[in-house]
Amino acid sequence: MSGRYDAIIIGAGHNGLVGAAVLARKGKKVLVLEARDHVGGMLGDASFRVAPLPYALRPEIARMLQLDQKRLHGAKPVETLAFGSDGPPLRIIGGQVTGTDAITEHDYAILHARLGRQARALGVMMLQSPPGLGKASLGEMAGLAKMALKMRLLGKTEMRDLLRIILSNAWDLLNDEIGDGPLAGALAMDATLGGAMGPRSPGTVLTLLYRMASQSSHGHGLRVMPEGGPDALVKALSDCVTSAGGEIRTGVAVEKILVDQDRAAGVRLQSGEEIAAPLVLSNASPKTTLLTLLGVEHLDGEFIRRCRNMASKGMVSRLDFDIAQMPSLRSGGKIEQGQRLVFAPTMQAIEASFNAAKYGDLPERPVFEATYDTTAKRLCVTAQFTPHDLKGGWTDDAKSALASSVMAALEEALPGLSSAVTASRVMSPVDIETGYGASGGHWHHGELRVDQLLMLRPFDGAAQYRMPVKGLYLCGAGAHPGGDISGAPGFNAARAALRDGGH
Amino acid sequence: MAAKAKPVPQVALGLEPGPFHDRLVAHNRQQAWMNWMGYASPSVLDTVEFEYFAIRNQSTLFDISPMCKYAITGPDAESVVNRLVTRDIRKLKPGRVAYCIWCDEDGNVVDDGTVFRLSETEFRLCCQEPQLSWLEDIGWGFDVQISDVTRDIAGLALQGPTSCALLKDLGLAGIETLKPFGIAGFEIGGAAVTISRTGFTGDLGYELWMEPGDALKVWDALMPAGKLRGLRVIGYEALEMARIEAGFLLPKVDFLSAQTVLRADRANTPYELGLEWLVALDKPHFNGRRALVDLSKQTPRRKLVAIEIERDKPAHNALVYHKKTREVGQVTSALWSPTCKRNIAYAWLEAPYGQSVTDNLWVEIYLQKEIRWQRRMARCHLVAKPFFVHPRRTATPPADY
Ligand SMILES: Cc1cc2nc3c(=O)[nH]c(=O)nc-3n(C[C@H](O)[C@H](O)[C@H](O)COP(=O)(O)OP(=O)(O)OC[C@H]3O[C@@H](n4cnc5c(N)ncnc54)[C@H](O)[C@@H]3O)c2cc1C
Repeated sequence: MSGRYDAIIIGAGHNGLVGAAVLARKGKKVLVLEARDHVGGMLGDASFRVAPLPYALRPEIARMLQLDQKRLHGAKPVETLAFGSDGPPLRIIGGQVTGTDAITEHDYAILHARLGRQARALGVMMLQSPPGLGKASLGEMAGLAKMALKMRLLGKTEMRDLLRIILSNAWDLLNDEIGDGPLAGALAMDATLGGAMGPRSPGTVLTLLYRMASQSSHGHGLRVMPEGGPDALVKALSDCVTSAGGEIRTGVAVEKILVDQDRAAGVRLQSGEEIAAPLVLSNASPKTTLLTLLGVEHLDGEFIRRCRNMASKGMVSRLDFDIAQMPSLRSGGKIEQGQRLVFAPTMQAIEASFNAAKYGDLPERPVFEATYDTTAKRLCVTAQFTPHDLKGGWTDDAKSALASSVMAALEEALPGLSSAVTASRVMSPVDIETGYGASGGHWHHGELRVDQLLMLRPFDGAAQYRMPVKGLYLCGAGAHPGGDISGAPGFNAARAALRDGGH
Repeated sequence: MAAKAKPVPQVALGLEPGPFHDRLVAHNRQQAWMNWMGYASPSVLDTVEFEYFAIRNQSTLFDISPMCKYAITGPDAESVVNRLVTRDIRKLKPGRVAYCIWCDEDGNVVDDGTVFRLSETEFRLCCQEPQLSWLEDIGWGFDVQISDVTRDIAGLALQGPTSCALLKDLGLAGIETLKPFGIAGFEIGGAAVTISRTGFTGDLGYELWMEPGDALKVWDALMPAGKLRGLRVIGYEALEMARIEAGFLLPKVDFLSAQTVLRADRANTPYELGLEWLVALDKPHFNGRRALVDLSKQTPRRKLVAIEIERDKPAHNALVYHKKTREVGQVTSALWSPTCKRNIAYAWLEAPYGQSVTDNLWVEIYLQKEIRWQRRMARCHLVAKPFFVHPRRTATPPADY
């Protein structure tokens, strides 16, 4: 089949855009098709953004796409305020914490440095195709070798330490090193945010390292907001696609991936329009891509079973509160633009709210992160452990119950806040699933856990971006290395497609 | 045969009595029962030789009710069956049966069996191993109903040269026009019976399918009608002899289902089993197709071959050697074939033996003579399957024997 396009990218999420940019800059004629009326995926809807805090774009990708790195990564690192049950919040920037005792400050710095070294070793794998389970290509072997070398360079003790903690849980590690409290709460939040795991779940040290590895533009664990915020990042990425000759169409949902002679041949839109291309990259979640867009008739039964069984129960809701006049903190002082607020007073509190969510209930006291946008006068809350499969469903009552419990926790730290709210909105995991095609409304399009990582991501037999139908690639958060606004899956998928000859 | 033996109502093996059990008990002089999918199934009722020769010279009844049976029905039934098996099932017309295999995603054989196409949208699958969860995986996402009908259907294999004549004696009009692999409906003893011209013996024969509640009625009509036709009830051992002669493979004996192997390399591809003629790579996607496309271009790691062995001692469990020294394979099924008067076997041979190297092969046979064991190297030759071929298997109408 011949057509005007060398490649079609389904979805203009940031990963779709990164993948399109990589291909377009290699001279491929690309077309990006987005169902929504805006680009940027979960990052892109300025009126109610799913992902408000894009800290994780890989600096290597910014460099290779020749984006304005100074604008993207030049700002000073974000300060995190970790709220305990009373008093002033702790203030955290990377490995520095203030507001706690000197011993904890010291222990935390050491722990942070150690985790950082381990995260860096893991980080090498982020921009590599994961090795195959059968035969590995030379490039994959090189990636593995690099990681192995990094691990060796860690030294014997730290290497042993890494192996020891990789399946262990954040609870034990943090309790051993810094004790429970708001500081441990903030770290355990990083370890579990977006997943269906509590701090006591095995593998949560690994997810903590993953998150630290994906925020390494200024050294591990340092968060930086791009200048101009999420919209500027989305614009930088879509400009990169179009200036390299790529086309982007919004408001066009792909209904089917066309297959000819067991090869991807293009797509059919919901309107019935068919567009041919020998290469199709899908930014939609793996389940959506394979079970709905491609269709089970092209896949083996075992493959479908693993795809269906892939864990992807979304846990996170977004709430926006319009607040014209932000009250002062209970301990005095104001919240500043860009600060990240973490409401997870202890690991115990996180685990307790996970317990409720595990059984399909809303936690009485949800744990969450938040930022206040001083220009839009909006408090953006990302609330953890609000299960996709909520008992009784995501009714308006359920949503207002969630909003009240979040507000109750905020009110304690910011007395007078609730009466300052002029409007509020709630977006549940079900809304996210419907709105973005991410199965389960999941943060990573599929749980990030040991049996769904690296060569097992998104699931056994579907790793390495290439799908069983030739010419079809997964380029979204469901693929290795997973979600967050990192661009890594899109980048890796496009490179895998180019390595295969571009079609 | 007049059943004088006292019926023993209970089989104390923890096995379930099948729909024909009351009659089988009466005939089972040896009381030699085996476990076939939880049913009490006779391995031999009287004398294996008599039972075997009845298959080739008279008529035999064998209870096949324990066979796993699945109904696959609905608008997408054809697509689902076509996705399951490696043959192009779109070519199978209603009222016909096809022998099929199905593979896992690596192209290894899961099981073999027969697919009955009862109508455009109704299929029945008969096989050895339970398959329900496998079928549900294959059918997921399709508009199809899949159910286990093993215990809803009783089956009898009526096999042997006089089987058609016997059915004609019973007044089954037109049975002689039923072609091999054909299906038709009849009435026996007042009960509705679906008859397919299929079987496991390589001989003229039929399989009779009925409601379990009608099983004894049908049996009781067949037995007197078979009197003049030499009808004999047989057990598994006699059938096993006939199936080796007939060139059929038996799961668990000649190969293992990919679903049951513990060691991944013990599973087998259609190319290794010599069943490539059942694989239609040119049809739309089916389970294992991509792996099979790759495998079809490679030399099989090993091959299941039919061999004929010089001299007369059957080569049970024998090792196969090249030039009497290098071990290159082993025998799975072996038999001194009373009808062919040949010493036959199936053997696995590691590549390149049995493929590019086919001469100077030997089997090592152990013989016990008055307590003392002797080792004998017997030369063997690759031959074509089946060992037993007779025109009466396919002749339509069959001759009156
Ligand atoms: C509540 C929540 C808060 C989050 N907060 C943050 C955060 O603060 N920081 C952070 O780094 N990460 C955050 N994340 C994670 C982050 O949003 C995702 O990991 C990231 O958006 C994944 O990017 P993507 O490009 O792979 O997919 P998406 O952003 O999901 O984009 C996929 C795109 O494909 C489109 N699409 C799907 N199907 C079709 C189709 N059939 N036809 C056409 N288009 C289609 C969708 O409309 C969508 O635009 C959050 C996630 C959630 C759920």
